[in-house]
Amino acid sequence: MRALRTLGAALTLCAAAWLTAAAPAAADGKDGTDGKSGTEAPTEAGTSFRTATELKPGQRATAAASTGDYLYWVFPAAAGQVPEVEAELKLPDASSRHGSATWQLDVYDGLRRHQPCASGTPSRRAAQQDRTVTVSCTLRQVRSWSERWANDPLQGAYYVRLTVVDLPAEDLGLPIDAEVEASVRDAGGAHADGGDMTPLNPVLRAGTAPGTDSEPTGDASSDSADSSDSSDSSDSSDSSDDKGGDIPHAVAEPEDGWGSGWWSDRWVWTVIGAALAALAGVGGYTLTRGPRSPGRPQNGTGSDI
Amino acid sequence: MIIKKRLATGALGLLAALACGLISPPAAMAGEPAPDSPKVELVLDVSGSMRARDVDGDTRMAAAKQAFNEVLDATPEEVRLGIRTLGANYPGKDRKAGCQDSERLYPVGQVDRTEAKAAVATLRPTGWTPIGLALRGASKDLSGGEGTRRIVLITDGEDSCGLPDPCDVARELAAQGTHLVVDTLGLTLDRKVREQLSCIAEATGGTYTAIQHRDQLSSRIKQLVRRSADTPVETPTPVRGAAQCAKAPYLGSGLYSDRESFGEHRWYRMRVAPGQELRASASVAMDRTVDPDYGVLVRAVTPGGRELVRGSEAGSGRTDVISSGLRYPVADVDDDEDETARTVCVELSQSFSAPASVKRAPGLPVELAVDVVGNDDPPADVAAFGLGRGWVLLGVLTVGGLLVGLLWGWLARWRVTVWRSN
Repeated sequence: MRALRTLGAALTLCAAAWLTAAAPAAADGKDGTDGKSGTEAPTEAGTSFRTATELKPGQRATAAASTGDYLYWVFPAAAGQVPEVEAELKLPDASSRHGSATWQLDVYDGLRRHQPCASGTPSRRAAQQDRTVTVSCTLRQVRSWSERWANDPLQGAYYVRLTVVDLPAEDLGLPIDAEVEASVRDAGGAHADGGDMTPLNPVLRAGTAPGTDSEPTGDASSDSADSSDSSDSSDSSDSSDDKGGDIPHAVAEPEDGWGSGWWSDRWVWTVIGAALAALAGVGGYTLTRGPRSPGRPQNGTGSDI
Repeated sequence: MIIKKRLATGALGLLAALACGLISPPAAMAGEPAPDSPKVELVLDVSGSMRARDVDGDTRMAAAKQAFNEVLDATPEEVRLGIRTLGANYPGKDRKAGCQDSERLYPVGQVDRTEAKAAVATLRPTGWTPIGLALRGASKDLSGGEGTRRIVLITDGEDSCGLPDPCDVARELAAQGTHLVVDTLGLTLDRKVREQLSCIAEATGGTYTAIQHRDQLSSRIKQLVRRSADTPVETPTPVRGAAQCAKAPYLGSGLYSDRESFGEHRWYRMRVAPGQELRASASVAMDRTVDPDYGVLVRAVTPGGRELVRGSEAGSGRTDVISSGLRYPVADVDDDEDETARTVCVELSQSFSAPASVKRAPGLPVELAVDVVGNDDPPADVAAFGLGRGWVLLGVLTVGGLLVGLLWGWLARWRVTVWRSN
């Protein structure tokens, strides 16, 4: 009896330990999801490509920072869209500043390649008395495919970096508030292009430690191991494109997918064109025989063709 | 009999305990954070100058204590926090003794709020400012485990000990591959303090903040501690690129870190099977004073030395990193062809240069992001599905249709005429 009671007590304790241990873990999980995929706009910025804060198009992210910090956000853009980023900075009091400073907004694609701004003011000089400064950048249209040598914007993650590039040394470290909004607008059917590729959405996981296979000996075994490894990763990243996957990526797939989809107004134009051609064809045909038909009694000729 | 019973009881209890241990949740037992949970150490300057009354009419020390209390209350559960002081114990004039004065006030671990607050309350502004020593000590306190490491340095004066130079110490600690970030908070707007603290921050990829108000101090420390909790646990794998492709390490998909000296070229290798695409990005960080113009070049090269594709970027002025990337799709092959993975060499070089006074070692921090994904699908036509669009298209189709109709009509009439005449 006593043995059983001890066992029972031990199990109760065990369960209690389980619950107390599990509770914070569950809470953590909830916090994590709230912070990551919640619909609220982020209130913090990352400090590098790796730690960039995810931003959904249309959200207005805020961040409190120090002058001189490098603030990073990352947002997704699908093929056929034209991304636009706008940032507004609230500068410290004019009395605490010592001169004018140049603020700059840089946009990088998922391969960390700097993307030129087709329009907008990516860099602006704020005079000492200015309270705010606004910088913006509109990219070129995102393509669904490009030559490998090209620097064209492709579907995937886009990094936004906001920082001060030129300032009086005395102003370093003063507090600022930044607001960033990324938006995407559809380029329309005029720019609907063909081709498809896996989005440039970088994986956020530690690399597999380089094996001892750097020596050419035992190439065959390491070869197969490595190739299976890489094909695994490609498979999983492929599948994660479909269902969100378990490999962490820089950004989540947009609701409407990465591609521009099969639909574009090119279908309408082409179908209208076909209809017009058919009508014009019938019209042309009737023109050749139209004027004679009322005068002639027998009408059988048409059906003889 | 009784002994036997007791034995049985003990055995059963032991069994239950064992089972309990075995089936306990993997995340963390109560009170023990996961081994890869982030670690933060607050390093507080308790030197004599902290007595100055210039933070909202209060002493710097009082402001720091109040901020610490607020931070301790707001520390997220998963963060392991420690506190280290510098200049807290030795009040004398002897430089040698004063420059050894850095003490671990509260060990890095899950915070017992009352205990930690009590420890902070005992602090009185006392001694010297051995920042370099304190940074080394803090790095030791944070050693072990896989999580991210962050030092938050709060000080009101530059290092009063000279050697080791705290900026060099910070760079050296960051180069140890432990992914250490030092964020600095200066309690004065003094030029020397600012230069030293921003140098420490720059050397480790951290941030520098000039503190003028009390609430600013606590909110900034809280933000930095929270940032530690939010930062992804996945830290890049350290790797060492070779001087030539034949000896380069093989990299799979993921993030890697390396160091590259001025004028150095580093090679890496990747295996890419037909039907796959290699993506490689590299960013080189500027962790010290460098000349104003710089660039980076990433090249994908066959083992034979033929260049496949390159990515390059150049810039000038203030920056944290310069980065570029490339993608190289390997065309799919027919069944009878060679399906083994191709080796692609990636060469990384940068054109940073630095004034002669700047230390060359360790090299500049490099972060590599490698990914191997499914191949792209080159379009058969530039336009989506080869569809057309626009008024010209409609005009051409209409005129074309009309011409075909006319032609057909005339053909029909001609045939009828021929048939009649026969």
